[in-house]
Amino acid sequence: MDAAESVESALDAAGRGEVVRKVIHIDMDAFYASVEQRDNPELRGKPLAVGGSRERGVVAAASYEARRFGVRSAMPSVTARRRCPQLIFVPPRFDVYRTVSRQIHAIFAEFTPVIEPLSLDEAYLDVTGNLKGIPSATRVAEEIRARIRAETGLTASAGVSYNKFLAKLASDHRKPDGLFVITPREGAAFVEGLAIEKFHGVGPATAARMKALGIHTGRDLRERPLDFLQQHFGKSGPYFYGVARGIDHRPVRPDRIRKSIGAEDTFSVDLVTFEAMRAETRLLVDKVWRHCEKSGLRGRTVTLKLRYADFETITRSRTLPSMIAGRDEVDRIVEALLQALFPIEKGVRLLGVTLSSLNTEGEAESPQMRLAL
Amino acid sequence: MKLRIERAALLASLGHVQSVVERRNTIPILSNVQIEASEAMLALTATDLDLAVVDKIMATVERPGATTVPAHTFYDIVRKLPDGAEIELTYDQAQRRLAIRAGRSSFQLSCLPKEDFPVMATGDLPHQFSLGAEALKRLIDKTRFAISTEETRYYLNGIYLHAAATAGVPMLRAVATDGHRLARSETPLPSGAAGMTGVIIPRKTVNELRKLVDGAETDVAIALSDTKIRFTFDQVVLVSKLIDGTFPDYERVIPQGNDKQLEVDAKSFAQAVDRVATISTEKSRAVKMALDNGRITLSATSPDQGSAIEELTASYAGGGLEIGFNSKYLLDITGQIEGDTAQFRLADAASPTLVRDAGDESALYVLMPMRV
Repeated sequence: MDAAESVESALDAAGRGEVVRKVIHIDMDAFYASVEQRDNPELRGKPLAVGGSRERGVVAAASYEARRFGVRSAMPSVTARRRCPQLIFVPPRFDVYRTVSRQIHAIFAEFTPVIEPLSLDEAYLDVTGNLKGIPSATRVAEEIRARIRAETGLTASAGVSYNKFLAKLASDHRKPDGLFVITPREGAAFVEGLAIEKFHGVGPATAARMKALGIHTGRDLRERPLDFLQQHFGKSGPYFYGVARGIDHRPVRPDRIRKSIGAEDTFSVDLVTFEAMRAETRLLVDKVWRHCEKSGLRGRTVTLKLRYADFETITRSRTLPSMIAGRDEVDRIVEALLQALFPIEKGVRLLGVTLSSLNTEGEAESPQMRLAL
Repeated sequence: MKLRIERAALLASLGHVQSVVERRNTIPILSNVQIEASEAMLALTATDLDLAVVDKIMATVERPGATTVPAHTFYDIVRKLPDGAEIELTYDQAQRRLAIRAGRSSFQLSCLPKEDFPVMATGDLPHQFSLGAEALKRLIDKTRFAISTEETRYYLNGIYLHAAATAGVPMLRAVATDGHRLARSETPLPSGAAGMTGVIIPRKTVNELRKLVDGAETDVAIALSDTKIRFTFDQVVLVSKLIDGTFPDYERVIPQGNDKQLEVDAKSFAQAVDRVATISTEKSRAVKMALDNGRITLSATSPDQGSAIEELTASYAGGGLEIGFNSKYLLDITGQIEGDTAQFRLADAASPTLVRDAGDESALYVLMPMRV
């Protein structure tokens, strides 16, 4: 933001009676893959996937060279291999990623104490009142990017804006190794032209439901009244209403410690059969496990949540003595928990899967290694 | 039904069967033991639907008959009756009560009809062979500590019993693993066992069997199909369901090329591990083994408690190596080593380590290290 824009945004804010925040979203470029290419020159410039190459493996991260072939993270390794036969698979080295993550975090901490890490390679920073007294958030972002490059040999993209929603959109806009600013004046207009899938918080399922309601872009979303959005998207309604106008009041929550990783889904038609619920829980487990792979977090407790058609909500959970090692194990536990609830007399409108008792900082993944059975 | 029986004999027999009965049962009759008197014999049966044990004892039967009574209560009553007492059991069909009399004590137990007691059908058991009680005990003892308790990997919740060949010699093998360690024990394949299906015997069955076979005076006759197994010896018959699952291909986790060989006095090693582990945290139980030519340095540290260190002499010439293990796992294994010397074959701090009893070829153990 240049000086004129700063003044203007301050005036805008004063008109609304609030202080304009300066939020930066930093996102490392193809993080795991870049670390591998940094540490092994032979991998540079080549299509690379970090993750298991085995039959049931999933791509945890893909280098930009691999992305050109359509390889994406969370894609089954088999599919990735089909799209790019010369794809090189490298097993993940979470210890190294964690070390780099700590380095980056240390850099952030020099600029602001208000840091909200989203995963090992991604964080929101609130630099409204930064520690170095730099008035321009854009300059803070540039300095952080330069420091990351100098200290880790890796590139990061940054998005600068006045809230989290727009900052995240911005960082995605000039990837890789880019920086993009969305000023308070531009916010609403930027959102208008945006395809609905690009909204943070809109996954494939929500996108499909939005499209069924005729909402394809930010503009379409903006035209829907609040009660309409609330009726269709429940407690996410007000969030969508706000972000369609470039408004997002969620604060940057410093050093939030993640206690659980969860995913849930509400169905347009209530589910009644075990098979139908089982199919949905598989997708939820995939989603939860993808997050585990991304964040390097593992858990010991699996919770299954069910909301019946009459809104009665129950949870069932199981805690294991050691960290759950794989997606299939989560899936088996969920299946057992679900099985135990049958016969179910009422329709089920929502299912959720949550992993907790996480190996948060200080308690790394179980030191006991496992046999390759 | 009316009979008289020695307290000691009845107590021993009830002791054999009552532990099969679960403490909590949703189906009332599963809390009961079936007692059936026929000529000069009393047969006691207990089941949890996965496992059934029948034990027979001599009795003076006046009137044959059968009923079922609450197992744990019956056991407690008999246990508390005085040593050497003669017990009289009388079943009153009209009242559905079993009278237990000994000396001046008298009890009336409510019964459930014998007809409701579940019978465990074995079906056809195509594979039949017999095994010495000692050999069976060894197969169990050397492996059962490694049985997994994780319900999600249910196919590891038992001992995998199967026919295999070691250096061309046909063997009957028992294998158990919990994903952290693996134990394998074998005995020459009994005739009749060739061509048997590999079966996974559930943990509870293994534990009940081990208890029963302790006093066995005869060989154990084993008969099995892919779903059921039956053990018969003395006056005992144990029938169990098998775990319906596929045991993983365990051979590939047994290291073949580990080149660092360590030999150490098993007893001193176990004692040292036990001492050093006093310090390691309850949760991890980690101990570090630092190997140097001719010696092992065992150590443990805990952020709260402090540290411990102990040095042992050992036969080792593989160069410096530091490796961590769960002390409990080490002690489980050394606890099964009967000879003087424990033999380790190591590769590095992140690969499976092979442990054997230098004086016993029939068992081997694989242990994954811990990061320390």
